[in-house]
Amino acid sequence: MDRDYHIGFSAMATPCEVRLETDDEGLAHRVAEAAEAEARRIEAKFSRYRSTSVVSQINRDGHCGLVVDEETANLLDCAAAFHLLSDGLFDVTSGVLRRVWKFDGSARVPDQEQVAAILPLVGWRKVKWDKPKLILPAGMELDFGGLAKEYAVDCVLSVVGRLAEAPALVNFGGDLAVTGPRHDGSPWTVAIESVDEPRRMAGLLELTAGALATSGDARRYLFKNGVRYCHILDPRTGWPVRDPPRSVTVAAATCIEAGLTATLAMLKGSEAEEFLKREEIKSWCIR
Amino acid sequence: MSVSFRESLARISVSLLAGALPAAGARAQSYGYGEPLRNDNFGPGFNYSQIDAALLVYQEGGGRVMAIEPTLDLSVHAADGRALTLSAAADAVSGATPNGAVPSDKPQNFVTPLKAAGSSTTVTSASGGSTVIQLPPTPGQAATAALGRQYTVAANTLPVDKGFHDHRAALGGGWTQPVGGITDMGFTLGYSRETDYQAITTSGHVDQTFNAGNTNVSLALNGEFDSSFPFGGIPAPLTPMNAQFKTPTSRNKTQAGFVLGLTEVMTRRWLLSLNYAFDNQSGYQSDPYRIISLVDPLNGEPVQSLYEGRPTKRTSQSIYWDNKIDWGPAVTDLSARYYTDSWGVRSSTVELDQRINLTPSIYIEPSVRWYDQKAASFFRYFLVQGQPMPAYASSDMRLGSFHALTYGAKFGLSLSKRSEIYLKAEYYHQGGAAHPAVAFGQLRQQDLFAGTNAAIAFIGYSWDFH
Amino acid sequence: MKWILPILALALSACAPLKDNFLGPQPYEKDLMARKEMQVDAYPFLTQAEEHIYFSKEASSGGRGFAGGGCGCN
Repeated sequence: MDRDYHIGFSAMATPCEVRLETDDEGLAHRVAEAAEAEARRIEAKFSRYRSTSVVSQINRDGHCGLVVDEETANLLDCAAAFHLLSDGLFDVTSGVLRRVWKFDGSARVPDQEQVAAILPLVGWRKVKWDKPKLILPAGMELDFGGLAKEYAVDCVLSVVGRLAEAPALVNFGGDLAVTGPRHDGSPWTVAIESVDEPRRMAGLLELTAGALATSGDARRYLFKNGVRYCHILDPRTGWPVRDPPRSVTVAAATCIEAGLTATLAMLKGSEAEEFLKREEIKSWCIR
Repeated sequence: MSVSFRESLARISVSLLAGALPAAGARAQSYGYGEPLRNDNFGPGFNYSQIDAALLVYQEGGGRVMAIEPTLDLSVHAADGRALTLSAAADAVSGATPNGAVPSDKPQNFVTPLKAAGSSTTVTSASGGSTVIQLPPTPGQAATAALGRQYTVAANTLPVDKGFHDHRAALGGGWTQPVGGITDMGFTLGYSRETDYQAITTSGHVDQTFNAGNTNVSLALNGEFDSSFPFGGIPAPLTPMNAQFKTPTSRNKTQAGFVLGLTEVMTRRWLLSLNYAFDNQSGYQSDPYRIISLVDPLNGEPVQSLYEGRPTKRTSQSIYWDNKIDWGPAVTDLSARYYTDSWGVRSSTVELDQRINLTPSIYIEPSVRWYDQKAASFFRYFLVQGQPMPAYASSDMRLGSFHALTYGAKFGLSLSKRSEIYLKAEYYHQGGAAHPAVAFGQLRQQDLFAGTNAAIAFIGYSWDFH
Repeated sequence: MKWILPILALALSACAPLKDNFLGPQPYEKDLMARKEMQVDAYPFLTQAEEHIYFSKEASSGGRGFAGGGCGCN
């Protein structure tokens, strides 16, 4: 009789879960080890908080020019392609803006001069990316925060898929993907967290294939003079996007697609729903 | 964008994951996700309404009580937590019910007030029809011809009154909604009316969910105001049974209590509930039609029938513990309750329900209930002539010592994604001492246990719409 | 009677550690709680009808979340 194995661990500052439907306990343990190992590998490689990560090396020594490995090259290609597809809204060099924008719930909004001073350090087109050689101008930084978690979900799912023929679900704090329906054909059910009451359920989704990702401002914002500045910054102006939804959940074939789409929808601000509807994307917005 | 956004993005994704995912291309094309908020989800955050129409048929063994009760329930739940419930029920009850007297080795006569002219009072039955009798005028009163109803019970049979026939209608409603930071607050109102009884019920509750929606704590206050206006008036306790119209014609009872509840999602599959209930009733609580036999101290023959009398105050407490466990194709519901009150009643109840989903649209649910009760302190099978009269006495088996077993099964069929028809059949059997130690004389040969056996059937139709 | 309240308090506190993790299941783990058969009272008619029958044939009442009664089957 199949059992539902729940594998839980913490990685990328997120509670991670892998669910596996199998009757083989040994397999569940092997899957648990492999899933956790893969998640940690990706975290160690792409986290800007680890001084030994590839991203930190790039940010330190990028101005000299580096040759990156195949996996990093693929991520950079992805970032570049999506930058074009999003008309510049998605930009992996926008991380430096956090030096002036600290979203701690306070009213410390930076002024025009501060933002103007840092804006020259933002902009993917300033980066010289000629696979596999990367030159990052001095002072600029790369941040894979908008990609890494979703990429990790897809990678862990493929690791699990190669190890086990069993139905599986990989969920990193709300960004998730499944191998397919459960053994009896029924879908996996996933709860969408409410934005207003953290940890209260806003709805329930059923997934038989593909992935889900959620972009949201649940707890990170500044509030001054009655205006809420959410943590989604427009890299072209350096200022927060106008009137984005509180949360966007997107369903797609892979987690990376879902995540990028959700991020782009947030970046579209007040036009999020229109964008999603126009492109016929399966999504749910909470305003 | 001439090529669609989704296609371009899909290509980007495939390139990225090609190294990591075997056959990523094939997978990237196979989408499959359901609509959010599918129709068969319940609980907080969902919009749904439910109508339940049902019929209860109840038949006791031995030609005793038969009841039919149709009901209709409607509940409307909004996603934000507001909910409205309305219910209506009617029942028709008829048949014979034990009058409280002990069986005798000789036939016995019982006399009760006669119903108003125009209503039928005779029952043709071999073992005890009722006849209209002329009562002698009460000394000191005008010699008007008073009429009473008399029925005879054969020897060695449990005395029952066959003229029992009643209708009841009840309506109820409730409203609940979140208020400010409080998860839920609400109230209910109910009204029930039968020929000789009326009950007005009300309750208010407050409940709070916290701990990521896993814990719910609630407090409900409830109150009831009942009026009993039996045919023939309210008899004085422990006075002889007679056909006179008595005063007062009605008496009331008030009840107030509270229930403290805890519901906890223990694990993904286990929901636990724990309730503590406290109740206080004061006012008229006797059964105005029920008697207790006064027997001869030597041979145990009933010599007189006295109206019963119960205390006017009753305080009770109970603890109820329920577990619902979802194994996947089966769901188990196991509950236990312990009850105790100031009348001396103590009882334990354990119920086990096992729902088994045979297919996504058919389920069976066998169930069993064990019940054990210790008698009230004033419960007596009979009273003995010549002995000091207790303050209160009742021979109602409902207050006696017995154990009961209910076993049955429910069968449910989903007619569509949103509607279900169900059928439940149960058999309820009470068992107790037929020959208690206190029996003496002719009482030793009699079966003094007046418990119930009943076959119960429900048929219901439940329709959810979202 | 007096011992009922302390036992209740003990049961309440004992509930705390019996969970998958410190807080109990996460929202995305509560899929099963949305099923009809896991609701506290999914078939209110059956519950009420059975309570009514037991109330008229037994001395105990209620406990399930409401006090019994409401009719004259005393």
